[in-house]
Amino acid sequence: MPRTMLETRNLVKRYNGFTAVDDLSFEVYDGDIFGLLGPNGAGKTTAIRTIMDIFKPDEGTIRVLGEPPGVVRRRIGYLPEERGLYRDLKVLDVLVYLAELKGRPRSVAREQALAWLERVELSDWARRKVRDLSRGMQQKLQFVASVVHDPQLLILDEPFQGLDPINVDLLKGLIRELHRDGKTVMLSAHQMNLVEALCDRILLIDDGKAVLYGSLDEIKRRHSPGTVRLRTSAALEPLPGVARVEQRDDIYTLTLEGISPQDLLTTLVEKKIPVDVFEVATAPLEDIFITVVKERDNA
Amino acid sequence: MRRVLIIARHEYLVNVRRVGFIVMTALVPLLGAAGLLIAAFFGGQAAAFFASTFVPETREIGMVDRLGAFTPILPEYQDTVQLFADEEAARAALQADEIASLLVIPEDYIETGRVIMTSKGGGFSTAMLEEADTMKTFFVDHLLGEEVDAALRERVADPIDPVLVSLEEEGEPEGGPLSIILNLIVPYFLGILLVMTIFVSSGYLLQSVANEKTSRVMEIILSSVTARELLAGKVLGLGALGLTQVVIWLLSSVALSGGAVGLLGVALPLLVRPQVLILGVVYYALGFLVYAVLMGAVGALGTTQQESQQLAGIFSIMAAIPLMLGGFMFSNPNMTFVRILSWFPLTAPTMMLLRLPMTEVPLVDIVGSIVLLIITIPVILWAGSKVFRMGLLMYGKRPGLRQVLRALRQA
Repeated sequence: MPRTMLETRNLVKRYNGFTAVDDLSFEVYDGDIFGLLGPNGAGKTTAIRTIMDIFKPDEGTIRVLGEPPGVVRRRIGYLPEERGLYRDLKVLDVLVYLAELKGRPRSVAREQALAWLERVELSDWARRKVRDLSRGMQQKLQFVASVVHDPQLLILDEPFQGLDPINVDLLKGLIRELHRDGKTVMLSAHQMNLVEALCDRILLIDDGKAVLYGSLDEIKRRHSPGTVRLRTSAALEPLPGVARVEQRDDIYTLTLEGISPQDLLTTLVEKKIPVDVFEVATAPLEDIFITVVKERDNA
Repeated sequence: MRRVLIIARHEYLVNVRRVGFIVMTALVPLLGAAGLLIAAFFGGQAAAFFASTFVPETREIGMVDRLGAFTPILPEYQDTVQLFADEEAARAALQADEIASLLVIPEDYIETGRVIMTSKGGGFSTAMLEEADTMKTFFVDHLLGEEVDAALRERVADPIDPVLVSLEEEGEPEGGPLSIILNLIVPYFLGILLVMTIFVSSGYLLQSVANEKTSRVMEIILSSVTARELLAGKVLGLGALGLTQVVIWLLSSVALSGGAVGLLGVALPLLVRPQVLILGVVYYALGFLVYAVLMGAVGALGTTQQESQQLAGIFSIMAAIPLMLGGFMFSNPNMTFVRILSWFPLTAPTMMLLRLPMTEVPLVDIVGSIVLLIITIPVILWAGSKVFRMGLLMYGKRPGLRQVLRALRQA
C-alpha cells in the first residue's frame, strides 16, 4: 500500500451559508498524479485553498504529508488559480525570494532557480524584469516558482488555464518529468482530455460533493460496462446478447445487453469468428463526467 | 522568525531602490537646500534692504545735545555717535545719508525723559533705535558717568537676566530654561515624528499590500508563510523603510541648519528629564507597532490602493487627534478626557508623548497605558492577520463589516 501524502476526511467549508465543499473525503498516494475534477464553481479551488491552509475548514480533518495543514508548507509546491508575480522585480530575484520563503538557503535557492530557468529555456531572462517577459514565458516562470524549492508534493490549481497548446504540451512534459523524479502531483482541471492523459487517479466533484473517486481506468470501465470494440475480417452475423452493432471499416462497436464481454468473447470463439482485436471500450472521461453530473441534477 | 526577517529584508531592499522612494527621500533635502539657496540669494539683498530701511547703524547716529549732559561723548561711543553743534547741520547730514538717524536731547530731558528721534525711514526705525541696547547703555553711561561703578552701570542698563527653575516632587531643582523648553519640545517632536512615521510607513504598507493583491502574487506567498508572518515582515521592513526616510530628512535638516538640530540632539540626554526621554521612546516604539500592524490589515481590505488609503486615513487621524487637542492639554494635562485618551491604545502613544513633559502624569496612567499597549499589539497582530488574510484573497469586492467579524471569529 503506497504512503498517503494527502488525506481529507469529511471536509466541509461554507461561505455565508453556502456550502462550497461538502463532506469531501479522499486520499492522494505517494507517486500519484491525482486529478481533482469538476465544473466551474464545483468547489475545487476552495478545497485546495483549505488544504493549503489559506482557508480554515468548518468541519473535517486534513493531513498533508502526515501533518495538519500549514505545518509542512516548505515541502509543498503550490500553483494557485489566481496567479501573478512581482512584475517590477528581476526574474531571478523573484525565484530566489520565493524559494527562500520555502526554507531554502539563499545560495541554494539561487542555484536551483538558475537550474530551473535553464530547464525551461529562460536563462537569458534571469536578470530581466518579469514585466519584460512574454505571456507564455511568464506562465512558465509561474510554474517554476511553484517547484523551484524542490517540493515533495505539488498542488496545481488549474495549471493549464489560459495556456496555448505549445505551453500545455510543455507543462504536461514538466509534470511527467517531476512525476518520474518521484514527486506526487495533485492537479485540478476541467479539461478532461488533459486529465485523462496525465492522471492515474481522480476525484470528480460537483456542488462541493464527491461524485466519482478512484483509479481512472477503473472508473472508465465501471461507466462503460456494455460496450466492446472488436476488429475482424469476417462479416458479423447477429449475435445473442448484442443489442446494437456499429461498423466502421473492419472495426465493430457492439452494445451488449444481458451478457458480459467475456460471454461475448466465448460466443465469438465458439462461432469461430476470427478476431484481430478485442477490447472493452471505455467512454471518454468527458462523457462520463456529463452523464454523472446530469444524473445528479435529475435525481 | 527567519521567514519574517526574509520578508522584512525583501520589502526593505525592494522598496528602498524604487524610484518613487529615492525621489521622495531626496525631494525634502533638495527643497530645503533650494530654500536655503533662495534665502541666501534673495535673503541677502532683502536683509540689506531691511537693515538700511529699519535698523539704524549705530555708528551713524547723529546727536544734538541741548542739555549738555552727553557732551563730550565718552571715548567708547565716539565711533557710533556723531555729535552735531546744531540741529540744522545734523538734518543736512541726515538728508545726505551721512548719518542713519538723528537724536535730539532737549533741555528738559532729565524731567521728562523725552528725546526726539528723526530718520528718513519713517517711524519704525526710530522705534528700533529706542529699543537698541546700545543706546540704553549710551544713556546710562553718560548720565551716571564716573560717579558709579562700571559693573553697576552695566546692571542698570540690563537689570535682569531671569533663570527659571522647576521643582521636582523631591524638591530638587532641575535644569534651566533650555531644559524646560526641551522637556516640552522633545516629546512634541517625538509625537510629530510618530505621526510622520505612521503616515510614511503606512503609505508603503498600503502600496506593498495593494501591489501584491493586484498582481495576484499574494496567494503564492500565503502558501509559504502565515498571514501573521507576512504582516509582521512587512511591518518590520516597511517600518524600517519609513524610518530610513524620516532619518534622512532629519539628518538633512541637521546639515542644512548648520548643525543646530544636531547640537540639540547631543544636548537632549543631558538636558531632558531622563524618564521623559525613556518613556517617550517606549511610547514611540509601541505606538509605531500598533499602527503599522493596523495599517497593514486595513491595507488588505481595500480593493484599490486609493480605497485602502481612505480606510487607513481614519486611523491616521486617530494618531493625530492628541496633536490637535494640544490646547486642552496645555490648560490641564491631567483632565479626565486627556486621561481617557492616554489609556486608549490608538491615541495613547501620541497623547502620552505630549502629556509626559507637561505634568507629573499619575503612575497608574503610565503603567496602565503601557500594559494596554503591550496587550494590544499581539491582539491586533492576531486580529489584523485574520482580516489581512481574508482581505488579501478578495478581489474586486471589499469585505463588509459582517465578513470582517466572521473572519475574526474563525479560529
